[in-house]
Amino acid sequence: MRRARLIMLAAALALLAGPVVAQNKPAGKDAKLYFIWPRNGAVLKGPFVCRFGLHNMGVTHAGDDYPNSGHHHLLIDVDEPLNPNEPIPSDKSHQHFGAGQTETQLDLAPGKHTLQLVLGDAKHYPFNPPVVSEKITIRVK
Amino acid sequence: MGEIRDFKSGRPQPPRDAVPRRLAAIVVGDIAGYSRLMQLDEEGTHARVKRTERDLIEPTITEHHGKLIKTTGDGFIAMFDSPVEAVRCSIVIQQNMIGRNAAIARDQWIEYRIGVNLGDIIIESDDIYGDGVNVASRLEGIAAPGDVFISGGIYEQIKHKMVCGYESLGDKKVKNITDPIRVYRVLPDAAAYQRTRRRRESILLTLLGLAITIIAGGVLWYLLAQPRSKQVELAKAPPSPVASPTVPQPAPAPSQSSSPVPAAPVQQASPQPAPSASPAAELPEPEMVSLKGGSFSMGSNEDPSERPIRKVAVKPFAMGKYPVTVREWNACAAAKACGFTAGGKDDVPVTNVSWSDAKQYVAWLAERTKKAYRLPSEAEWEYAARGGTQSKYWWGDQVQTGHVGCKDCGGDAAAEQPVKVGSFKPNPFGLYDMGGGVDQWVEDCWHRNYQGAPDDGAVWTGGDCGSHVIRSGSWKNDARYVRPANRDNYDTNVRYPTHGFRVALSP
Repeated sequence: MRRARLIMLAAALALLAGPVVAQNKPAGKDAKLYFIWPRNGAVLKGPFVCRFGLHNMGVTHAGDDYPNSGHHHLLIDVDEPLNPNEPIPSDKSHQHFGAGQTETQLDLAPGKHTLQLVLGDAKHYPFNPPVVSEKITIRVK
Repeated sequence: MGEIRDFKSGRPQPPRDAVPRRLAAIVVGDIAGYSRLMQLDEEGTHARVKRTERDLIEPTITEHHGKLIKTTGDGFIAMFDSPVEAVRCSIVIQQNMIGRNAAIARDQWIEYRIGVNLGDIIIESDDIYGDGVNVASRLEGIAAPGDVFISGGIYEQIKHKMVCGYESLGDKKVKNITDPIRVYRVLPDAAAYQRTRRRRESILLTLLGLAITIIAGGVLWYLLAQPRSKQVELAKAPPSPVASPTVPQPAPAPSQSSSPVPAAPVQQASPQPAPSASPAAELPEPEMVSLKGGSFSMGSNEDPSERPIRKVAVKPFAMGKYPVTVREWNACAAAKACGFTAGGKDDVPVTNVSWSDAKQYVAWLAERTKKAYRLPSEAEWEYAARGGTQSKYWWGDQVQTGHVGCKDCGGDAAAEQPVKVGSFKPNPFGLYDMGGGVDQWVEDCWHRNYQGAPDDGAVWTGGDCGSHVIRSGSWKNDARYVRPANRDNYDTNVRYPTHGFRVALSP
């Protein structure tokens, strides 16, 4: 009896502790973040419009704490790995789209660039597991 | 009547009875099943619809350079100069609604049907009329909930400019319109069909997860309630993400939020100069430094956004000696004039502040003190940051430690909060933390470079006011960002953990 209670207690704790420990919000099931445009390997004339696609999750404003939704971040030429325990950085190579934008105009210097999308939650943290797009490489003429 | 008309048309200004007509893209949106929702929960639905209009519809239309003509009980009519912007705006609204609906039960969903048409319309002061509006509203009428239907005219304008799918629905005959209209359905992406199906699955899964959590919580409560009632508190607090659609969650500071601000005059014994004005004053007013004004070269060639370099003259004004601190901010929060109570030590700069938050603070401070407190203009900020120098940094052209707080200037970029204000050397004007520390909002709307910028130090309005300029760089940025000429931008209403501000004062 005592053992059974302990097991039940452990199971209940494990179920509850999950969301308590991890501060990252759970990602939507089968969530997929991708570039509608440009495609990987594209050669473009700048400035061009970059469009973000998202499946199985919704786009909302930063600060809005709706479940299963977040806002876009565009990483340009970023090589450092994403730190899931920090807000997504904000600088010229980490663009934020907290107003719920789903596209942006990019004016990049001629040459090769990498682009990657990361979905952030209300407080700009990545989801768990992180909802990121494929890192694409483009060339600006 | 004829006489009056003759009399008016003789005048140089346009006669008032000549009806202004113009070509415009008209967006008509309407909530599907509004009466059913109202029957279900009248007050709740009304509040939710109003909130959606305020938080989503209105700002999205403005962001896309449109004009909201009117909102009806269950819908809205907007007008755009550009068909592309009109359709983009509609897609953004529909995509956002998916996110909002994901959290609630299917029968409570607010779903818009949207129709977009290009047509010649008659504009009156508070409404628009004409065939063009009627067609848009008929398109909306035949659209499925969550869909955007566009007319052939719109399609012709946008088909090569917007990369998204279009499904032709052929010519449709609609009520009271003589000619059939060519109708297209907009597919934001190719898999839009699938999404609807999977959305339902994910809601079911969420509900299942919730049920398991509740059962687990109940079991745990039962087990713990028997032997020791002490631990119940612990177990009963799973994190429930409270949806707060209007006010974003403040910085995690539960310890502070319930108690009022600690009495201002009580200060920690610190060797640093305390940033509050006089300990006797009840109001912790930011300490100001008067600046003479003068002219300087604004901008640099380091980044395209800082070009062209130009001569700017700045009038005399006063600038906050430090960024606004947590203590100063919390006085405003205690007076219920600022949106949230900030956590952290009293002497660190307040962070996680949006531009709109900063504006609330300066408005409150000006009102309380009866002084002309405001945000500095971008030109004033750079003038003050340079402190009379024209070098890359205010102390020279090389990065040195001890002058500013930044990632590669000897600071701790991993820290969650910036260090106390005044921890680094002041610049030649006696101002601290002009560069590094916290990003600082200024009054100006964002423009991607200085083409057409004013040269009298005034605030540059117009342009993209959905974002405003931030200056200074933060403790998490590298040395490139702490240059006085560096400029960046961020969404006006969005909070971010490295963003703060300082105040300016007109003489």
